[in-house]
Amino acid sequence: MRFLVCLKQVPDSTVRVKVGADGRSIATEGVTWSISPYDEYAIELALERKDADPTTVVSVVTVGPARSRDALRQALAMGCDDATLVLAEVPLGGLDVAKALAKIVEELRPEVVLCGKQASDDDQGLVGPALAETLGWPHVGMLTRLVPGAEGIELWREAEGGHEVWRATPPVVGLVHKSEKEPRYPSLPGIMKAKKKEIPEKTLESLGVTANGPTDDVVSMEPPPQRGGGKIFKLDGDPAGVAATLAQALHEEAKVL
Amino acid sequence: MKILVVAERRSGEVRRVSLEIAAKAAGLGECEVVAVDPPGGKEQARYSPVAHATAVAEKARASGAKVVLVGATLDGRDLAARLAAKLGWSYAADCTDVAVEDGSIVAKRAMYAGKIRATVRVALPAVISVRPGAWTLPSGAAAPAIVDIDAAADDPRVAFVRFEATSSGGKRVTLAEARTIVSAGRGLKGPENWKMVEELADVLGAATGASRAVTDAGWRPNEEQVGQTGKTVTPDLYIALGISGAIQHLAGMTASKVIVAVNKDPDADIFKIADYGVVGDLFEFVPAFTEAVKKVKGRG
Repeated sequence: MRFLVCLKQVPDSTVRVKVGADGRSIATEGVTWSISPYDEYAIELALERKDADPTTVVSVVTVGPARSRDALRQALAMGCDDATLVLAEVPLGGLDVAKALAKIVEELRPEVVLCGKQASDDDQGLVGPALAETLGWPHVGMLTRLVPGAEGIELWREAEGGHEVWRATPPVVGLVHKSEKEPRYPSLPGIMKAKKKEIPEKTLESLGVTANGPTDDVVSMEPPPQRGGGKIFKLDGDPAGVAATLAQALHEEAKVL
Repeated sequence: MKILVVAERRSGEVRRVSLEIAAKAAGLGECEVVAVDPPGGKEQARYSPVAHATAVAEKARASGAKVVLVGATLDGRDLAARLAAKLGWSYAADCTDVAVEDGSIVAKRAMYAGKIRATVRVALPAVISVRPGAWTLPSGAAAPAIVDIDAAADDPRVAFVRFEATSSGGKRVTLAEARTIVSAGRGLKGPENWKMVEELADVLGAATGASRAVTDAGWRPNEEQVGQTGKTVTPDLYIALGISGAIQHLAGMTASKVIVAVNKDPDADIFKIADYGVVGDLFEFVPAFTEAVKKVKGRG
């Protein structure tokens, strides 16, 4: 079986994101870039299928600027088989990204396409469902587990109070929320192998895609409001007294009790 | 301007977020509220992307709506994205405010996992999902008239098979919609101490949440994780017990109205954003606090 994982390179989750000089994009200086966390989970789910059945092929693709090549290299080092970069220096709207990805799907013909449920930069979560819609495939969201069986693939979908289990007969798009195991680190041989792999580069033009869908127009960005200067209590051997004072403050001062 | 609101039901009841949106939308334009009856009818209520998005898209086209508003619940976010793609409309997810200005929508939404707040301009027509609790439900707001529409035929390549409940069984209010959340971290020392968290949550009528350390260790189900790669929450009151405050956790709860933190370590980062902090042993404090809350609530 062939998997295609669509990924996006975003600021690493440990980065303290700051607003840039233009007030409508982030300051990129000194930012460490990584594979978006949900996409990493998607890679892990696909690679676990490859662990179980070595005939499985796991491809990765991204639509993004030249620096995204590092994210693809990272995915190859984790154990993915091949990678494709669709070069787009200017950020595209989600529907246009989906159109470009659909062309790669038509080329590689995977049975299962996995995307992170959203990229942790714009947090829109549009591309996965839009790709399914463009392809005319069904999609299943919030995936945490993927179990192939005789009658198709069981897809576990996190829901309120538990998991919905769905059965899919490929092709299908899955939007990944989490993997049970933490995404694996690249091994040293994996890194060496990944260095030697060619990463073919495509452009929207070479794919025959015209970017004409709705775009995301950010007017302004700001950091979350500053907090702090709160009241700090020390227990000092009087938990009941502090508890009563705090409960009273939440009731009368903050009015949330 | 015509607005279509897609309401969602949970166990037969219209969700609070749907009521919040319907109440607000009435002030933004001419508003119609629909709910999709899933395949198999109300009893077998399972959201399915193709069946639901196809039905709502047909309705949106037929009604001449310029905006579709959907509650940003798990299913609502999924539906809104597929719907925007199906219609080829603009899209903004999990918005915390929406206004109509000069023939387009100006929306506020979190980006970068809550580390940035953005104002975005969204061209019409558009599909917008709205974060639960973003709009206060006016007290005494009339229940909206809801038109039920049938789900379209589902894609035959996917089918719901069964539900696997987690131990908590979804008895509590969900994290996304909770007005009060009690969250615990590694400071709780082990799953055997979770009872203490539940007792406080019961007294408060709160949802329970957890730090990533706790869900990764398997003490609590993943769905309770608050923060980046978990849930972003904005309750009126967020109580963090034994959570040190990693940047990924803070990003997911920093927009809460009032934050209470209890931690042994006076230098823990969580205190930097707390409105009320308690430095000390949570095993001493929490049972005492549960009793104190009971007393305050008892007095009304």
